[in-house]
Amino acid sequence: MDALGDPTRRAIFEQLRRGPRAVGEIAGELPVSRPAVSQHLRVLKEAGLVTERRDGTRRLYRLDPEGLAQVRRYFDDFWTEALAGFKAAAESERRNG
Amino acid sequence: MSTQATETGAIHRSVTVECSVEHAFSTFTDRIHEWWPLDTHSIDVGETGSAPETVVFDGPGGRLYERTKNGEELEWARVTAFEPPTKLVLAWNPSREEGPHTEIEVTFTAEGDSTRVDLEHRGFEAVGEQAAEMRQSYASGWPGVLASYEEKASG
Repeated sequence: MDALGDPTRRAIFEQLRRGPRAVGEIAGELPVSRPAVSQHLRVLKEAGLVTERRDGTRRLYRLDPEGLAQVRRYFDDFWTEALAGFKAAAESERRNG
Repeated sequence: MSTQATETGAIHRSVTVECSVEHAFSTFTDRIHEWWPLDTHSIDVGETGSAPETVVFDGPGGRLYERTKNGEELEWARVTAFEPPTKLVLAWNPSREEGPHTEIEVTFTAEGDSTRVDLEHRGFEAVGEQAAEMRQSYASGWPGVLASYEEKASG
């Protein structure tokens, strides 16, 4: 899955972590056009990271509330990194006795 | 209940370290400040952009927390089992707010002169109904999520 491999999509994802937003609001904070934002949102939706709903005449985008898998994926990556650091520390010569 | 069992199931990681069980355990706990990536994974860095002063493991006191540069103590986890040098269990919720937690169990097993460290991070499905709030708490209290993605993505 490469949905978050793009810096603009990561920026959009970051915005949506702060709450639901419409396309125009998202585009307003980024140096890209609305159509470009829409396209990125489509990729994020297809990856299951973002959902949309109607709010009156607007479409609001938000992080997928079922996206617990994101949290898990995050830790999946995180523990690999953290345990590498732990191993280095455990095997270092700096022993506190 | 969940249709995403594989997506929300427990995470397992093992690492073998070239040291005694005692040393492995104390490195993981008392010396956590020597290896935890505070500059990317802490509450303070998410709020202020810079790492906290340190992270403190207080097993007997039942807490794992970071100490910010302002001297604030922000809790990451409650220590629910502390059995040196073989076992550690944490109720994990690094946030300023109360919320659902996941569980982390770490066991340390001697293998000759080495130690195998097995880490299980579980309970993702148990908080499924509160997924939105949980992620909210991560959003407000545990940024740095994307830094990890970024490293993977650009790797």
